[in-house]
Amino acid sequence: MPAHTDHPAIKALRDLFEQQRPSATTEQALKGLRDAFLGRKSGHITEQLKRIATFPPEERRDFGAQVNALKAQIEAALDGLHDTLQAGQKPAGAVDVTLASREIPIGRIHPLMRVRQQVEDIFARMGYEILEGPEVEDDFHNFEALNMPPDHPARDMQDTLYLAAPIVGGTWGAHRGRLPKAQVRAATLLRTHTSAMQIRYMKTFPPPIRIIVPGRVYRRDNLDLSHTPMFQQFEGLVVGPHVTLADLKGTFEAMLRELFGDVKVRLRPSFFPYTEPSAEVDITCQACAGAGCGTCKHSGWLEILGSGMVHPAVFEAVGYDPEQVTGFAFGLGIERVAMLKYGVDDIRLFYENDLRFLEQFPL
Amino acid sequence: MKIQLSWLREFVDVGDPAEKIARTMSLRGFAVEGVEPLGTADAVLDFEVTANRPDCMSVVGMAREIATAYGLKMRVPPGLPLETSRASRQDPAHVRRGVRGAGSTASRDHRAVDPPTITIAIDDPGLCSRYVGLMADVTVGPSPSWMQARLQAAGIRPISNIVDVTNYVLLELGQPMHAFDFARLAGAQIRVRPARAGEAIRTLDGQTRTLSSDMLVIADGERPVAVAGVMGGADSEVSETTPTIVLESAYFDPLSVRRTSRKLGLKTEASMRFERGADPSMAALAMARAAALLEQIGAGRTRGAAIDRYPKRHKPGTLRLRRERIAGLLGAAVPDKDVRRILERLGFTPQPAAGGWRVAVPTRRVDVTREVDLIEEVARHYGFDRLPVTFPALTAAPAPPDPRITRARQLRQALTAAGFFEAVTFGFVAEAAAAPFAAAGQTVPIANPLSESFAVLRPSLLPGLVDAVAHNRRRQRADVRLFEIGARFTVSAGERRAVACACTGAAAPEHWSGASRPMDFFDLKGVVERVGEAFGLDIHTAPCDHAWLADGRRAAATADGAPVGVFGELAGSVADAHGLARGEPVYVAELDLDELERLSAGRAFRVEPLPRYPSVARDISILIADTLPAKEVRRTIREAAPPTLVRVAEFDRYQGKGIPADSVSLSLRLTFRSSDRTLTDAEVQTAMDAVMAALRDRHGAIQR
Ligand SMILES: [Zn+2]
Repeated sequence: MPAHTDHPAIKALRDLFEQQRPSATTEQALKGLRDAFLGRKSGHITEQLKRIATFPPEERRDFGAQVNALKAQIEAALDGLHDTLQAGQKPAGAVDVTLASREIPIGRIHPLMRVRQQVEDIFARMGYEILEGPEVEDDFHNFEALNMPPDHPARDMQDTLYLAAPIVGGTWGAHRGRLPKAQVRAATLLRTHTSAMQIRYMKTFPPPIRIIVPGRVYRRDNLDLSHTPMFQQFEGLVVGPHVTLADLKGTFEAMLRELFGDVKVRLRPSFFPYTEPSAEVDITCQACAGAGCGTCKHSGWLEILGSGMVHPAVFEAVGYDPEQVTGFAFGLGIERVAMLKYGVDDIRLFYENDLRFLEQFPL
Repeated sequence: MKIQLSWLREFVDVGDPAEKIARTMSLRGFAVEGVEPLGTADAVLDFEVTANRPDCMSVVGMAREIATAYGLKMRVPPGLPLETSRASRQDPAHVRRGVRGAGSTASRDHRAVDPPTITIAIDDPGLCSRYVGLMADVTVGPSPSWMQARLQAAGIRPISNIVDVTNYVLLELGQPMHAFDFARLAGAQIRVRPARAGEAIRTLDGQTRTLSSDMLVIADGERPVAVAGVMGGADSEVSETTPTIVLESAYFDPLSVRRTSRKLGLKTEASMRFERGADPSMAALAMARAAALLEQIGAGRTRGAAIDRYPKRHKPGTLRLRRERIAGLLGAAVPDKDVRRILERLGFTPQPAAGGWRVAVPTRRVDVTREVDLIEEVARHYGFDRLPVTFPALTAAPAPPDPRITRARQLRQALTAAGFFEAVTFGFVAEAAAAPFAAAGQTVPIANPLSESFAVLRPSLLPGLVDAVAHNRRRQRADVRLFEIGARFTVSAGERRAVACACTGAAAPEHWSGASRPMDFFDLKGVVERVGEAFGLDIHTAPCDHAWLADGRRAAATADGAPVGVFGELAGSVADAHGLARGEPVYVAELDLDELERLSAGRAFRVEPLPRYPSVARDISILIADTLPAKEVRRTIREAAPPTLVRVAEFDRYQGKGIPADSVSLSLRLTFRSSDRTLTDAEVQTAMDAVMAALRDRHGAIQR
């Protein structure tokens, strides 16, 4: 028979099968294909088998053989397809694991608060009491008791925002077994530093003292790359019978190394009315690792906080005897730390609250 | 202060290049803002001089610091009898002679037969304790180029040889000086007196300024010719044709100059030095220097001797300095020889005394008034880097943190877990932004605001927070959830702490599995209840009528019967004002943290034992009026049910097809449980019957 060519009807049927075969990708499609060709009642092959008897006797055997051969081929092909489908089938309920996840909503702590909490934790471990104070203050606590009487030139260093009329300020919550009834009775200004709390604390409790006061402070600065009229600050105070400048040095080295990693720390003489001696504290420039760059004005150092030994006039203002106690005080700008730590070059980003910025910070 | 290095080197023989000097001096308390090279061998150093060191707002002052830092001796340039080691400076001889009377010795060789002379009087020695005046016959012209160059390097514009000499002395010695045109001084007199109220003067900058009686002026026989220590008057200004001048070198009270300068809004090189404290001893020396310079540059010759009115002498102070105190404050003993060396180089005079020294303080050191100030001088030049690194000893148990700080951390945790990002916004807002959130007259204005957008203290955190939402919406962020913790301010309540939330967009992030529903009132209500939970408080809700919230979707929150805040959908008018699109509701909440803290005070949390018997849940569906709050339904159920009812919550609410108008179908699930037995069906059924009867009686509810 190989010499024979296929009957046109057989050829047409074989072509039809080859054409429809790729669509049999599911069990259902495969069953449809099987029914279409091999169905008992009206399958294409069944139809042809019925036709055999209509052929003249000399052609009957040849045509019959061709139909049966095609039938065998199709059956084998369908069985093959069935096996392939069986092999490739997923278990019930299988999923495409590469599809996108369902996002679990979670927010982030503000980067300034992130830094603030970190600093709080460092000082808490060093035995500091952490407390907050009112944002509106009176002149005595913000200036006068800090050795800045009216008309003191140093007041220029902290250009102050005043209230048009006094209001009642907030409370503060020191926690040495009792809560002081400490409310600002007539606040006249927005505090320019949280040092006001140092005065309130010393007037309430006797030494020794070891506190840190984080919070918002206000100065009359216009918004630009490195200034905002409101910023966040830490002020700390340690008072005791033998507190020294060397202690201040040790405290900052420990704190700044924990905050910034392996940095060098140095003290530079400076001036603040409420400390004497006063010192600015520098760390190795974070941008150039001390080699010198534009950020650090090619000095290799960056100023990070102001500090000093508490001025005796401040002790006198709160009724402490400067002959009996000494102490150190310091102030640290949280924005400055965050900018150096995270490489932020525009302070305003902290106050725009742009989610594209906020969500960059890890959980 | 900008100083040319070559000028400094006239006073101190320092070999280091400018950059190295800058580094050294910044570790001695004088940060250098910048170093500008000037040719190959010279440079201009810009020293930052702190407010307590007016004595260093001069070449000689900085030179003295450099000499101390480098262990060098100060050099005394010819013609300048500077003394560096004595506490009180002697007045130069020819000026001192002049005190006895004008024209006695120094002007013996003068050309004029009977030259007119100036008379000087001080009305209030408290405000002007010293006034040195000197006349000179001059030829006004430009000053030599070397002088102009030094002034320019310091940022001062050369004007004429006379003015330049006064400015040169100002820079060199830190003593502000002034030159008057003698011919313009009516009555040939100078009188230092308080201004008369309303008196006016046209100052050198061309402005006419009205003076008040608390200001000090230099006057002639008729009118003010200078605002003392601040600026000269234009009418007596030295001109190109001036033949005779009167030079002024004086000491004015710092406070008086400061107040005047502030009041006039006029800050000058002179006022900056006087208000920080000039050196009264310098007045006469500076005059001698100016006279020498005038002659040196050929600008003129003095006529007669200087007149030195010094009615109130400044005595150099003496302070005790204890060895033990130095060690006590610094944490390290400083060797005696270092203490002495440092103090002497800086011009102090230490004399040995019991336990340390008695130290005479030069009058220029207005910042040194206590022992601790001397210790700072020692520490500064001994070097902070040489101090040991120690740690303060704990002598008492550390106190726990402010409970509010702990609470704020809990809140941050609760709210970030709810998908909210923490925001930080400014404490002040524009008046218009504040207005909807405060009753009339309740906002707190700032007396000297930076701008209109920072005009009042915020009465609520919401204006700032809603602005932040709008900022993100403008940047294609559909889903925004923000919160802030901070203070807010009103006239009657003062400063109160609050937490605020603002959110808009979908209730859940977009996902391929299906569309997410938009956020609604009840999402926000859940957040508010979560905040309450952080304080261990149950939040109760009732409708409210705050106009900044949308009518029908606003509520007041209470805890233990006390109001703690409000929440709901932001009113369209407020959303508009913040530039938010209509049809995208923003939900906001604000709760008073001080009040929540007060309510939660003293509450201790205790664990309850786990239930030992199973619970039984029964559902009930009722038809009620749609105006009846769910809270009333729950209350009726609770009152009617036995104590075994442990929970009641609505799980379905339906209005529409099959439900009469003005009615609503509400389905609730009631959970019963007893702590001492398993409940029987009959018991529960009895309870349910009682509940249904009560709902029927009280609310006309129909069971479905
Ligand atoms: Zn750098």
